[in-house]
Amino acid sequence: MSELLIRTLEASTIFLFAALGELVNQRSGVLNVGLEGLMLSGGTLAFITARTLGSHAAGLLAGLAVGAFLGCAHGFFSITLRGDQVVSGMGLWVLSFGLTTYFGNPYTGPLGMARIPVFFGLSPFVYLGIALVAVAWFLLYRTSLGLAIRSVGENPAAAEASGVNVALTRYLCVVFGGALAGLSGATYTLSYNPVWNYNFLQGWGFISLALVFFSMWNPWVLLAGSLLFGAMWELSLSPELVLPGILSRYLWRTVPFVMTILILSVISTPWFRIRWGLAKPQALGLSYAGE
Amino acid sequence: MKLGLYEFTLERRHAVHALHTALTAGLAILLALVLSSFLFLSAEANPLDVYRVVFSYAYTDPLGLPATINRATYILFCAFAFLVPLRGGLWNVGLPGQVYAGALAAFAVPFAVRAHELSTLPAAPGVVIFLMVVAAAVAGAALAGVAGLLRAKLQVNEILVTMMLNWIFFWLVAHFIKEGGPFMSATAEGEGFDLPASLRAPMAFGAPFPAVLALAGALSLDFLFARTTLGYRVRAFGQNPAAAAYAGISPETQSVLVFLLGGAFAGVAGYHYFGAVPELHRIPGNYGYYGDLAFYGIICALIARGSSLGAVPVAILFAGLSLGGRFAQGQFQLPFGVDYAMLGLLMMTFVGSQFLYYFRIAWRRTAVPEVPDVSTERS
Repeated sequence: MSELLIRTLEASTIFLFAALGELVNQRSGVLNVGLEGLMLSGGTLAFITARTLGSHAAGLLAGLAVGAFLGCAHGFFSITLRGDQVVSGMGLWVLSFGLTTYFGNPYTGPLGMARIPVFFGLSPFVYLGIALVAVAWFLLYRTSLGLAIRSVGENPAAAEASGVNVALTRYLCVVFGGALAGLSGATYTLSYNPVWNYNFLQGWGFISLALVFFSMWNPWVLLAGSLLFGAMWELSLSPELVLPGILSRYLWRTVPFVMTILILSVISTPWFRIRWGLAKPQALGLSYAGE
Repeated sequence: MKLGLYEFTLERRHAVHALHTALTAGLAILLALVLSSFLFLSAEANPLDVYRVVFSYAYTDPLGLPATINRATYILFCAFAFLVPLRGGLWNVGLPGQVYAGALAAFAVPFAVRAHELSTLPAAPGVVIFLMVVAAAVAGAALAGVAGLLRAKLQVNEILVTMMLNWIFFWLVAHFIKEGGPFMSATAEGEGFDLPASLRAPMAFGAPFPAVLALAGALSLDFLFARTTLGYRVRAFGQNPAAAAYAGISPETQSVLVFLLGGAFAGVAGYHYFGAVPELHRIPGNYGYYGDLAFYGIICALIARGSSLGAVPVAILFAGLSLGGRFAQGQFQLPFGVDYAMLGLLMMTFVGSQFLYYFRIAWRRTAVPEVPDVSTERS
């Protein structure tokens, strides 16, 4: 398989993990705009742990744990305290941005460990990503828990009246979403690009957040979107593979971000909304006081 | 929660006193400073010594004080850029992008008249400097306006759009100043050209003139929101867009307007740091650091609760902390990024202080204590 295709699949996996967690999060009605912060924290802690203990597995666990913890913190603020979800999400992002820069700095540089073994030419995370899409789809559309998640995201009062514990369901989702964001960051620093650098994500988290909107909250569409953006990111890094000599390499780096704005605008037009229906969870971003 | 005879409940505050606002802000900042001292302890430095160095460098040192004033001006402009849309209920996290756009536009003016190559200017320096400021404001406003327009017309999430624009302009600046870009300096690789001496910002009261502009902005923004129809419309829209629409306030106009005004401030911030601050006078290779500093503006505006005058002392404090923090980092061999860590901790304590700000703990007696049943019947 060509190097570009392998890199594309790995990059897509990172978008996919973060966005899939956020999708489940949003399906339950909780918006976490600090996704990039969770990924930065997860990635940095995974990197430091793996380098200190010399174990990829320990690093992964640390990434998952810190992601889940921060997801839980977001849940505490937005579910229990019923605070503004945007304030809490942005808070988590700035907090992670600041603290990872400080604590990660002594570890700047390569991980210095053997690469994670590949299966049939691809990183194991790629297979895990595809499996998780299937699991998330099955969970959301074929289980009673999935029905509960979707109903607390659409109409929490009706869900509560039918016996669903709104707060507990939402907590489950934010912790799951946080853990996946941590996994996404860990995949970046342990497998995709095992070199720590300050603010290494450079916008991956915010693109992942946009991908959730693009997906119309459907895991399979999300998979397609992640593949598209993974490919776009790789091409913006090495434009000489398709269009050598046109534009400076810096201008190419803007392409994924320009495309994000364009797609966001197109899917927000009345034409698109009417044609494809609005799948956005009705109670997204709203806190629920309980009856 | 029940404790003995009393029941404790969390109640939402309905009216918040100004003093309470100031106290919560002070507490959030103080808590962030206390948490920062744990960072210094882990680096085996005495926190009190570190803070002494931080504050004495920032506010008394002949080198540190002017730098603090310049940085406070910058943070204040950024705070305004965030604060105006916030009053309208919208989040402008595109401060770095708008700062870069302002800087590029400001430097495009001397570039267009080839001031960096020729020794004579086609117009009086004052006119060129004025045009630089205007160009910066227009560029910042236009960039933020994109987010405002998309929000107004299509309800596109403004946080995502402004964040994407940050990265677009981050790479655009690199394109302009690095690897043979048009603004690249003739002498140093990876930096913008130097502003000619004649185009350096005039000083007012010992600081570059944008400092005075920032103070004027602080006075006029609070006036705008408290006393004018325009300010009232923005506030009404920010608190309840649906109710505002019934009152005849167009949500579209407000969304665009707050972003245009906010973006103009961020653009001027870009002119100020790269075009007016004496140490720079060019777009440096590490321009990304100045972009990151713009996020201090977000916390500054949040902690000041949207008051532009309230943002002034907060900006001066944050400027001193970030500059003094960098200085102390060298003095005490602390790890890099003390200023980043403080940024994160301040944001955390701010979010925590929301709790104190919006809720109060109420207690009331619940039940009359049970009296043992004493028979009163007489025999």
